[in-house]
Amino acid sequence: MKLVFSIFEKLIPLSLSGGMDSNFSNRNYRRLNAILVAIMLATAIVPMLMAAGLGFKSYNELFRDTERAEVQWQLDGSIKSMEYLLHTLESIVLFVARDDRYEELNQGSSLEELFFRLQRQYGYFSDLGVIDENGIQQNYYGPYDLEGIDYSEEEWFKEVLDRGVYISKVYTGYREIPHFAMAVSKVEPKTRKRWVLRSTIEAGKLQKFVNTIKNSAEDDFFLIDNEGKLQTSSQRYGEPLSHFLSDVEPGVHRIVSENGESVFRAVGAISHTPWSLVIINPNYIHGSEWKTFRARLLAIVLFCIVTSIFVVVLLVNAMTRRLQMADELQITMLKEAEQTEKLASIGRLAAGVGHEINNPLAIIDQRTGLMEDLLHLSGDFTHKDAMQEGLAGISRSVERCKVITHRLLGFARRNPVTAENLQINQVIAEVLQFLDSEMLYNKIRLNLKLSNDLPVVVSDRTQLQQVFLNIIKNAIDAIDREGTITISSNCLAGDIRVVIEDDGPGIPEEIIKHIFEPFYTTKETGKGTGLGLSITFGLLKKLGGDITVRSKVGVGTAFTITIPPECYVHDQ
Amino acid sequence: MTNEMKDTIRVLLADDEIEFATTLSIRLNLRGFETTVAYSGHEALEKIDSKDLDVVILDLKMPDLDGLEVLARLRVNHPKLPVIILTGHGAFEAGKEGMELGAFDYIMKPADLNLLTAKIEEAHETVSGSEAKRGR
Repeated sequence: MKLVFSIFEKLIPLSLSGGMDSNFSNRNYRRLNAILVAIMLATAIVPMLMAAGLGFKSYNELFRDTERAEVQWQLDGSIKSMEYLLHTLESIVLFVARDDRYEELNQGSSLEELFFRLQRQYGYFSDLGVIDENGIQQNYYGPYDLEGIDYSEEEWFKEVLDRGVYISKVYTGYREIPHFAMAVSKVEPKTRKRWVLRSTIEAGKLQKFVNTIKNSAEDDFFLIDNEGKLQTSSQRYGEPLSHFLSDVEPGVHRIVSENGESVFRAVGAISHTPWSLVIINPNYIHGSEWKTFRARLLAIVLFCIVTSIFVVVLLVNAMTRRLQMADELQITMLKEAEQTEKLASIGRLAAGVGHEINNPLAIIDQRTGLMEDLLHLSGDFTHKDAMQEGLAGISRSVERCKVITHRLLGFARRNPVTAENLQINQVIAEVLQFLDSEMLYNKIRLNLKLSNDLPVVVSDRTQLQQVFLNIIKNAIDAIDREGTITISSNCLAGDIRVVIEDDGPGIPEEIIKHIFEPFYTTKETGKGTGLGLSITFGLLKKLGGDITVRSKVGVGTAFTITIPPECYVHDQ
Repeated sequence: MTNEMKDTIRVLLADDEIEFATTLSIRLNLRGFETTVAYSGHEALEKIDSKDLDVVILDLKMPDLDGLEVLARLRVNHPKLPVIILTGHGAFEAGKEGMELGAFDYIMKPADLNLLTAKIEEAHETVSGSEAKRGR
């Protein structure tokens, strides 16, 4: 199991499994997408292909085995039929050559009469000959003058004496018509001498037999002799006596024919004859049933592949998009949290410093004051004025420090939030009363776009007043003289949003980044402490709200304050 | 009470920061107040009980006894004694608590001396005024 996991981890890129922090912004989504698509396609398609392949192979084997059995069965049946038919032919000749007929057939016209009777009855006998035990043809009826020929040295003659029946291969002979010979040997009962009746039969009879048992037009069905010469005509290999194949193994074999077709070749010997029956059977592969199966299988496989690709690509794309969105959201949140945390820790530090400096500052204040008092009481002496001036300078500096330390201590203030029902518009109006005269003096026009149907919020009035006061005062300071401040309020998803815009000089981007940090000020020394916005930020965070700023140099600045419907204590 | 006694306001300054307390007491005396200094909470309580005082200036953060504690205890025997809280401790809610315990006002260090003297006079007048009314 561990191994499986480790392999999986190697497969899955770091971009998928890696951790997240705010600096981590470049997951390779394209690569991730490609890998996911590949993995999912592989898991979908490979088993399907394996199943299809297995099905294909099994069905193929089934077809082949069935067909082989069928061909074998056909071959066996056909050989039996051929044997039966040839046996019938044999019987005719055997019947004609009765044992005691030797003398009779050698006398007068009885052989001629027999030939004509046979010819009338069967039609395919070409000649008849009677041969004595020494192999001399005693009597002959047929188109040639073959009487007196000595057959004693011929192989067939020895064989017919041995076995009683002999069937020759097909040959052309003198007549240029393919035929074969059939001979039977008999024993004359009186003289105990053996004799042979030999007849020649047209090869057309064999063709007829073959045609009789051939049961499919598609199959090639023919006889060959033991040397591989065609004995009947073949669709593929031509006319009788043309060469077929030497050395044809008996049995059923799959071969590839001359024209590239895959076929079954079934070969079986016909007993007591020089012949073998050959069936050439076109393979099932060319059969419609198999072709249909293959086409359907291919169609199904293709359909599955196309569908899988379509589904997987769509799905993975959607997934990666989701992941990307989630990552982006997480990064934004992490960055925001980092910013808040940073500001909070700077705030705590500032408050601590303020607290530590405040007491010594109070002592400096008192000591300076006492010295001023004493100087005031004592009479004139050299440098008295200079000393008084110096002490006044110290007092002024103490005053400046005091403003800073008091504001710093504001960070540490743990004012409990006193929540009450508030109309934000009303809070804004209260704050504006304070600033009326200042705005009038600076010739600043106020543009109020307050929504009339804002819901009542539960929050701290004093602290919200402080927030609005800080931001609006900031806007007044930014404009300096002559300009417009626009204050708009609306309700968005339950939260109230107040936007305070000014058409002042705007804030450059590098300043915007630090704008909520304590002591960050662009005002001239002594005019601002750089604490207003960071205190505002802290107050809003404490009330569960938020403040964001956007600005464009030369156009103006807009602060957006978000206040939740109900504040929650968010103390640090 | 004699007239002179009425004119001179007797102040107790309770603060553990010795340098601050002594300097401030000298300056207050220069301005015509009669100032006693206590450098701890217990000392402050002791002096409040043993001396005749008009106004108490109380620091909130003292090592032995917290200013609020002192305020709560002195209220037992001196319910009307005006107390001004003077602290560098930035605890606004502590000041608020002090106000609830009946402090007269709340001033943050470093305080403007004019503001402080004004508050002392105001506190003294408010209390003695109400006493005078009740006396009639």
